[in-house]
Amino acid sequence: MTLRGAAWALLAILPGGCAGAQNALGGEGAEGSNFVQLFTVFMIVCAVMYVLITAGLLIALWRRRQPLTVEDRRHHETSSAIRPALIGWTALVVAGLTALTVASFFTDRSNAANSASPKLSLTVTANQWWWDVEYQSADASRTVHTANEIHLPVGVPAQVTLKSNDVIHSLWIPNLAGKQDLIPGRVTDIQFVPRKTGNYRGQCAEFCGIQHTLMALDVTVESKADFQRWYEAQLKPAPPPATPQQLAGYRYFATRECSSCHNIGGTPASGQIAPDLTHFASRRSIAAGTLPMTRANLARWVADPQAVKKGNNMPTIGMTDAEVDSVVSYLETLK
Amino acid sequence: MAMIALLAMGLVAAVLIWRFSRDRAFETGVTNYGESSAIKAVPAPAASPADDGNWTMPGKDYASTRFSGLKQIEPANVGKLGVAFTFSTGTTEGFEAPPLVVGPTMYVVSPWPNNVFALDLTKPGAPTKWTYEPKPAAAAKGVACCGPVNRGAVYSGGRLYMNLLDGHTVAVDASSGREIWRTKLADIQKGETITMAPLVADGKVLVGNSGGEMGVRGWLAALDAGSGKLAWKAYSTGPDSEALIGSDYRAPYSQDQGKDLGVKSWGPEQWKIGGGTVWGWISYDPELKLIYYGTSNPGPWNAEQRPGDNKWTAGVFARDIGTGQARWFYQSTPHDLFDHDDINEILLVDWPGRNGQRIPALIRPSRNGYFYVQDRRNGRILSVDPYAHINAYKGVDLNSGRLIPAAEKEPKEGRVVRNICPGPPGAKDWNPSAFSPITGLVYIPHLNICMDMGVKNANYIAGTPFVGADVKMYAGPGGNRGAFTAWDPVARRKVFEIKEDLPLWSPALATAGGLVFYGTMDGWFKAIDARNGKLLWQYKTGSGIIGQPISYRGPDGRQYIAVPSGVGGWAGAIVSADLDERDPTAALGFVNVTKDLKKRTTKGGTVYVFALPG
Amino acid sequence: MSSRFPARFLALGLIAALCGCQRENRQDWNKPHARAVPATSPDTIFPGGAAVPPLDARAASFEGNAHVIARGQQLFATMNCSGCHSHGGGGMGPALMDDKWLYGGRIDQIAASIMEGRPNGMPSWRGKLTDQQMWQLAAYVRSLSGQVRKDAVSARADEVSNTPPQTQVKREPVLPADGPQ
Repeated sequence: MTLRGAAWALLAILPGGCAGAQNALGGEGAEGSNFVQLFTVFMIVCAVMYVLITAGLLIALWRRRQPLTVEDRRHHETSSAIRPALIGWTALVVAGLTALTVASFFTDRSNAANSASPKLSLTVTANQWWWDVEYQSADASRTVHTANEIHLPVGVPAQVTLKSNDVIHSLWIPNLAGKQDLIPGRVTDIQFVPRKTGNYRGQCAEFCGIQHTLMALDVTVESKADFQRWYEAQLKPAPPPATPQQLAGYRYFATRECSSCHNIGGTPASGQIAPDLTHFASRRSIAAGTLPMTRANLARWVADPQAVKKGNNMPTIGMTDAEVDSVVSYLETLK
Repeated sequence: MAMIALLAMGLVAAVLIWRFSRDRAFETGVTNYGESSAIKAVPAPAASPADDGNWTMPGKDYASTRFSGLKQIEPANVGKLGVAFTFSTGTTEGFEAPPLVVGPTMYVVSPWPNNVFALDLTKPGAPTKWTYEPKPAAAAKGVACCGPVNRGAVYSGGRLYMNLLDGHTVAVDASSGREIWRTKLADIQKGETITMAPLVADGKVLVGNSGGEMGVRGWLAALDAGSGKLAWKAYSTGPDSEALIGSDYRAPYSQDQGKDLGVKSWGPEQWKIGGGTVWGWISYDPELKLIYYGTSNPGPWNAEQRPGDNKWTAGVFARDIGTGQARWFYQSTPHDLFDHDDINEILLVDWPGRNGQRIPALIRPSRNGYFYVQDRRNGRILSVDPYAHINAYKGVDLNSGRLIPAAEKEPKEGRVVRNICPGPPGAKDWNPSAFSPITGLVYIPHLNICMDMGVKNANYIAGTPFVGADVKMYAGPGGNRGAFTAWDPVARRKVFEIKEDLPLWSPALATAGGLVFYGTMDGWFKAIDARNGKLLWQYKTGSGIIGQPISYRGPDGRQYIAVPSGVGGWAGAIVSADLDERDPTAALGFVNVTKDLKKRTTKGGTVYVFALPG
Repeated sequence: MSSRFPARFLALGLIAALCGCQRENRQDWNKPHARAVPATSPDTIFPGGAAVPPLDARAASFEGNAHVIARGQQLFATMNCSGCHSHGGGGMGPALMDDKWLYGGRIDQIAASIMEGRPNGMPSWRGKLTDQQMWQLAAYVRSLSGQVRKDAVSARADEVSNTPPQTQVKREPVLPADGPQ
């Protein structure tokens, strides 16, 4: 491949990183869009300055092509154009910096205003290597507990309290806002004001161990009505198993290793140290964005999680195929 | 310059370390705070009949006075008290149950394996008439948070009624020791056990479960005394239909009034593993036909996992004994943060009102450090005052009835909050106080313990602990770990207080002779003057005392004092379970405050009976 | 590139290889039954003079593996072992940091106690934990009384400070199950 070909290929890939579910220039959230605007201002100002400087440099090099005469060296008379040029240049720089400062200031004000009065409150607790998500409510019985996904109603400011159970993680949902660390022993927070509906992808942005790369988050921004519908569905306990195979899977889940760690509301399985699975089948992905939610992937995950996400805290139990099938059948009912 | 500064700092540091690390000796002896009130509360007459010389239930009577009307032994002659006989149970776990005496027979109830011995008091040395060995499951010991103890049996109608650690209630024929019925009520697979002494009244046997540290859902059940069949069961969490809250229910304060609060004041499904067990004391008013009892802490200890007020834990219920329907409930400690159960004894007294009338009241020194006086008809607070050092709460709002927590003492995940007073056993744990109608004072054996607490996410696995907290306890201000307080409930203050080195885990006994008896964790059984707390007599028994002393009239007409001696329970676990004092968080933090106990006492299981000579 | 280049890297590679990487080895993640907890006895008396089977060498190697002990420390808290045994001092369950072992203090005996449960209250975890997790817990329990290598233990607890750091815990003798308790 020639150097030229490589350059064109790179240019072709770049826009790909700027579109889609994990896009820092997406601007689908208030903070994100503020960032994009600020980024644009910076780009323009800096580009203009860059062009001017480069032009100046090129002109200087061009004019320098003429050989120096002895007179030129001895008599450096200041050209009459230098003084106003310098003043003009300083003014340009000042103007540019002022523009950048003012833009930053207003961006900051806007972000602060957006986060001033949140209407929705959630807590995200990072674990190795999954996200625990809890929606607060003044009515304690209406708190929602889920994992590896966040649903947000469009246009509603949300306050997210961030905690960590083990090491430092960082929450980054590029389309909506910037990064914020989750630090064990401390409480940090971040605010979102999503402006466009859609499915986005969040990511852990601070190296946190062997599976840091497979610690993603499904973010869904939806209309207020859809969000309410989702919220009400989350409040319900899991439906009882219907078929014999689902019943076998339910029994396995409730009496074997699964219930040591996982919770399914309305069943005897009330483990608190692994993702809450009450509405597991309604999620888009398995294991914090590792695999898309399909029956085949579920079977793959349940049978041998260590092969999929080596080193994570869910052990490979060594279930028989029949056991895997029945558990997966049961898990699929958890919508 | 820098060297001098460093030296100075080093010196200051050394002095500070020296000052605060050595065991500070505290002043022993009695502190007197003034006279007791002339107007006295009176034990509820219907609930406290005249003393017939027997002791048929741990609380002595339905009003839970633990007061003996016998007056042969008095301050003038108590110095001559000596051992009449002893009886060894053969067990070495915490010995909490009082011996019962009915006529010529004494009944001794041991901790697991919950054997009962009937002793013939007419013969010298009190030989055994019969032994009842119920053989409860040994596995139950693995889910009993605070020792495989038993708080006593009850004698009624020729039978003994008691609970077994593995969740059964039994009725035993008192003359032969033959088991009449056995009913299974609790499931050790879920972490439930039963340690409490039942209450037998109105043809019912009232039993509550234990397991607030095991993610157990609490309840109080009533069995028919004749057949052992379940009459009703009232849960401490969950929907109103299961908590037996219906049209008769009127809460004294709005915080406790509403529909299905046992569900709504929890996160979804959390009430099913929420605690509120009933492992303590029940009192009964035969006129109002109401039983009064408290519920345990909510589970887990880590309060961040269970948002809401967590009803109906850490509060007091009044229920109709026939149907179990709740009449009122008052939550002493909403959204409990510190394991402040509310199962302590509830004494029923008639209260001197402002215009000279008598208000049917209940008085209780609660675990959260407050002494409550409430109208027992409706639960309204008549007065509430701290009887110990408290910094975890700022007080009780008398308008709303709500406890006001101190925000800076709230435990948070990932960090440690220090110097929280009172600690998890509270200002006083299960060991009940006694009331003397002669002095009008409540004699409270209790604690002076504070703690550091760190909380973290607790995992729930049925049959295992559901706690989520690391605790280290230590002595509170003053350096004494225990205190014996004579509290005047009418004047609302202390009359005298005895500082004790070790935590006080034994109940108290008051007698008409003007004496009060209690025991220490290193085995000293003490008699003090009921008016001023002066120590009049003491005897060193073979093991620490955490059991209820009683007084009875023997077949020979003489007054006897009996006390079980055998250290254990939560406070004595370091000895009875042979724990390691190098881990300060052992026994849920208690080991840190009883590190020296192994040097001061050993395990035991003996009843001591004392009498005057001749 | 000088001629010393390959030699330098070879030396560094050798040093790295020798530097006790067994301690840092992660286990076979996909083979749950590779190290099944064996049936073993806490007893010391066998008719005819037989003895307790010798300890499997692979089982003994768990005690030298830092990752095994670290996972055991996590599981000890999350599986509620610390609810009964605290941080080695005991509570509802006996102390694990001393020299008294009711049911044997060898790593396979501890793993068997976890697997089968024991009378007097130790629950049986068969079917609730994998064999691998039971080995990890057994290795951690051994570290509570100082039995394991000090360079394999974790240096700090995950909660409010309780016992001295594991690196400073002195090694207790391991009394057999029938030793004076």
